[in-house]
Amino acid sequence: MNSLEYRKFVVLFFIAITAGVFSVRMFYMQIIDDKWKLRAEEISKYKMTTYPTRGIVYDRSGNKLIANETYYDIMMIEDEISNFDTTLFCQLFKINKEELVEIYQNMVDKQGKDKKGKSNYRKFKPYPLITGLSSDDFSKVATELQKFPGFFENVRTLRKYPQNSGAHVLGYMNEVDGTDLEKDHYYRMGDYIGRTGIENYYEEDLRGRKGVQYLMKDARGNISGSQEESKYDTAAVPGRNLELTLDADLQTYGELLMKGKIGSVVAIEPSSGEILAFVSSPTYDPNLLIGKKIGKNFLTLQEDSLKPLFNRPLQAKYPPGSTFKLVTGLIGMQMGVVDSNRAFSCIKSLVNCHGHPTALSMSDGVKYSCNPYFYQVMSRIVQQGKSRNIFKDSKIGLAEWYEYVRSFGLGQPLNIDLAGDIPGFIPDVEYYDKVYNKAWAFSTIYSISIGQGEVGVTPIQMANLACIMANRGYYYVPHLVKSIKGKDISDRFQEKHYTKVKSEYFNPIVEGMWRVVHEPGGTARRAKTEGLNVCGKTGTAQNPHGEDHSIFIAFAPKDNPKIAIAVYVENAGFGGTWAAPIASLMIEKFLNGEVKQEAKEKRIIEKNFLTDPSIH
Amino acid sequence: MRKNETILDNIDWSLILLYFVLTILGLFNIYSASYNEEFPSLFSFSQEYGKQIIWIAVSMFLGFIVLLLESDILWKYAYWFYAVCMLLLIAVLFTREINGARSWLGFGSMGIQPSEFAKLGTAIAISAYISNMNIKLQSQSSAFYANLIVLFPMALILLQPDAGTFVVFTSFLWVFYREGISYDFILGFILRLIPFVDHTRIKIGSNFIPLLIVSGILVVSTLLLSQTTIQFFGMTLPGFWGLIISISVFLILALIVARITVMLRERKKLYYILIVAAIASSSLVFAVNSVFDYLKPHQKERIELFLGLEEDPDGKDYNRNRAMAAVGSGSFLGKGYHKATLASPQQGHVPMQSTDFIFCTLAEEWGFVGGILVLSLFVVLLFKIIQIAERQRSTFTRVFAYSIAVIIFYHLAINIGMTIGLAPVIGIPLPFFSYGGSSLMSFTMMLFVLAKLDSERKNVFR
Repeated sequence: MNSLEYRKFVVLFFIAITAGVFSVRMFYMQIIDDKWKLRAEEISKYKMTTYPTRGIVYDRSGNKLIANETYYDIMMIEDEISNFDTTLFCQLFKINKEELVEIYQNMVDKQGKDKKGKSNYRKFKPYPLITGLSSDDFSKVATELQKFPGFFENVRTLRKYPQNSGAHVLGYMNEVDGTDLEKDHYYRMGDYIGRTGIENYYEEDLRGRKGVQYLMKDARGNISGSQEESKYDTAAVPGRNLELTLDADLQTYGELLMKGKIGSVVAIEPSSGEILAFVSSPTYDPNLLIGKKIGKNFLTLQEDSLKPLFNRPLQAKYPPGSTFKLVTGLIGMQMGVVDSNRAFSCIKSLVNCHGHPTALSMSDGVKYSCNPYFYQVMSRIVQQGKSRNIFKDSKIGLAEWYEYVRSFGLGQPLNIDLAGDIPGFIPDVEYYDKVYNKAWAFSTIYSISIGQGEVGVTPIQMANLACIMANRGYYYVPHLVKSIKGKDISDRFQEKHYTKVKSEYFNPIVEGMWRVVHEPGGTARRAKTEGLNVCGKTGTAQNPHGEDHSIFIAFAPKDNPKIAIAVYVENAGFGGTWAAPIASLMIEKFLNGEVKQEAKEKRIIEKNFLTDPSIH
Repeated sequence: MRKNETILDNIDWSLILLYFVLTILGLFNIYSASYNEEFPSLFSFSQEYGKQIIWIAVSMFLGFIVLLLESDILWKYAYWFYAVCMLLLIAVLFTREINGARSWLGFGSMGIQPSEFAKLGTAIAISAYISNMNIKLQSQSSAFYANLIVLFPMALILLQPDAGTFVVFTSFLWVFYREGISYDFILGFILRLIPFVDHTRIKIGSNFIPLLIVSGILVVSTLLLSQTTIQFFGMTLPGFWGLIISISVFLILALIVARITVMLRERKKLYYILIVAAIASSSLVFAVNSVFDYLKPHQKERIELFLGLEEDPDGKDYNRNRAMAAVGSGSFLGKGYHKATLASPQQGHVPMQSTDFIFCTLAEEWGFVGGILVLSLFVVLLFKIIQIAERQRSTFTRVFAYSIAVIIFYHLAINIGMTIGLAPVIGIPLPFFSYGGSSLMSFTMMLFVLAKLDSERKNVFR
């Protein structure tokens, strides 16, 4: 038997080899390879994100502009359902059995199938069976629901825009895309982000900060406790509430007046730059762009030929028309090429004009909106005779003019607190040199004196111009935010921007603006409102796309103005006919809280340029 | 003079110590693996840890009895023990199925698993049979009866069915190997069917067993490599060619070594054996690969799943996947006692974490260090048992020692192997660690019987 004793080594060797292989394997699995650690995390841990409530947005008087609405989904875990009373359940949710079967089937189908064609639906996992119950509807079923094991509710919140107005100010939210995820690591797939308007500009204030809870997951996927005594958990920080400068009543009223018209109304409080109304017409109900229905509705709005998604006050470039004569006159006086008492006769051979008495002063020029008057002012600005060469001379003059115009906030974005405002256009020497190959003089470019030609402005810039007139020479950057809870608003909204025109030169112009509205022969008699001392200036901008645009900028009252406004109505003809009365109604609404000029109001509201393009 | 020596003087205390260490570690591991917050005390007898304390006490009591009894009883009544175990195995087949198998013989709420005791009974019977064989034990009938003693319980266990215990019974092959029981009579029977081979000239004897194991390793390796390719001198070859190349290289090296070290007289025979072995192994590899390619997709899938080549982590592969995640997440030092997040009763990710998958809790809470420590203790135990086996003058004791060594080894290899993805998932307990009275009592008695027999090594010659 001794001959077989060596065989103990074979047995020992085999045991040793096995132990050795096991040790190496354990070393690999537990220390070197991360695969099983990651798998363990996937199986047993759950990082639960707690979502903060998004900031609520109020108007200047505390009306809710943006609120959060709570919705409830009824979740079910099939494995946990017992003693299910179908009839009672159907009664509770007011559906019949066939519908319930269909809802269930839809829910299962929604989970998709794996590559082998097996459903991804798992009986031990929760799924939403009935979605989107309002708080009211849910409160009716809440107590009964507890009698159904395997069913429970899941709360979601969505944005709600209770005023149904101000879509272009408030903006909309949608799901983040790849670019957002890359740009800001705060976001995760499925998060919502403010895409336009206030929702976008104040996204970081509104969104708050997500919290994290590190939880344990048991084999059924249920949460079974926290990890490491919640040491690394963070609470969600709710978003900051915003108070906007907007006046919800005025905004809604502006949208009502602009119904059936294309254009913009922007009203600003001159003493602060606070935007009171911001109407882009046509508009849309902001509640259309919420939650799951956004995809379909967005497409419909995008395909609309009237472009309701287009933010006209910020992004539509129009000629300023005659309103620009205010700027021309002010610059002329500041440069000393004219004074306020200068008379110019209405020479229609220079530039076309309508019939009116001769303008004996700057104020008259404004009142009659005399084209030849401002033609002659502008010719003196451009051709100052500082050089004998007319071309060189015009360059000196225009360059000076350009700097003055820029100081009115024109030709550059105002950088208000909405994304996307465009600069508009103010031609400079370089531009004309390029277009006219350096051979140009005032006679080439004269149409800019009356706000035609190359000059392009946005309605927000025009409203800002109205503020400058109201303030007699300065403006605040127009803005929509009044206060942010627990945080100061940007300093740049509290900084006065002076024009390069001295305050004293504004008086004759403002006087002219008063007369435009109040005196016979003024171009905007329709803007006159008892007791409000409206000062304004009409504009009628020629444009290649059809009828002239009707423009009016105004402020009121004349002294210590409370509101400045710019109105653009596209293809509506003379400024005094449509834009002026709209502006005056807005002013009346804001200053008096109600409108008494019912006939005027009725005429505006009933006018629909889209169905009836005739002007009067 | 020897008569005055007590059992205490001759007993191998290191064996007893190892037993205590493993059992106590096992108890504390169960305390974590099936911990219930409502019963925080270790001595909560309604809980598995409390019950295990009772089982440990019962087991130790039985062990103590064993030490007091006359060891003559063992070999005198060896077949009676065996017979009782077989009767229990038959009886269990008439019980109600629990979890798809008839393994429990119940007495009220208590129950025993006859298959656990059958290992001990079979070990005693085999020891008795082999020690009673005379020197001409290579006779065909002796080998036949020895195998029959093992095959009979295996058949009964297959009827339960209990795949794990069935596999454990194959460990007796190692005992036969050590004792030189020849399988030539079976091989001859097969080889007779192959033409041009003179079966009478083939004398493999009990080397059949290691050959079988080497063949098994070759088969598994071939299957593992079946879906891979290798690069060999710029050629892209199917993976199994790697095995052929290895065999060829091994053959060449072996021939060179043989030429240098072996005497000319012996060399020719050795060359012959080496070449035949290499050709046989290569043929096996080819054959397995061809058969595998010929299989239908669903059959392939089952084999791949069995080998861990294809993963179905939430389906068929659930248990192994969770077990491996638990072990892997233990890292170097583990998560700490009572801090498992996968192999814990509260989370329930690892199924049967207090019985078949008990090693997961250990490896997760004590990490690589704890796992290696326990593995080492087992290896020390096994080496100790084999050391004891080899110092016996009594064949009975030696055979018995080898039997329990390989039984424990198989339990260890399969139980730990399945939690680290190196063995198929077949449910068998980890000795001294898994919760359960039957297995603990059975393993305890195995060790105490051995200790008793060993303590008499000096005065018994049988």
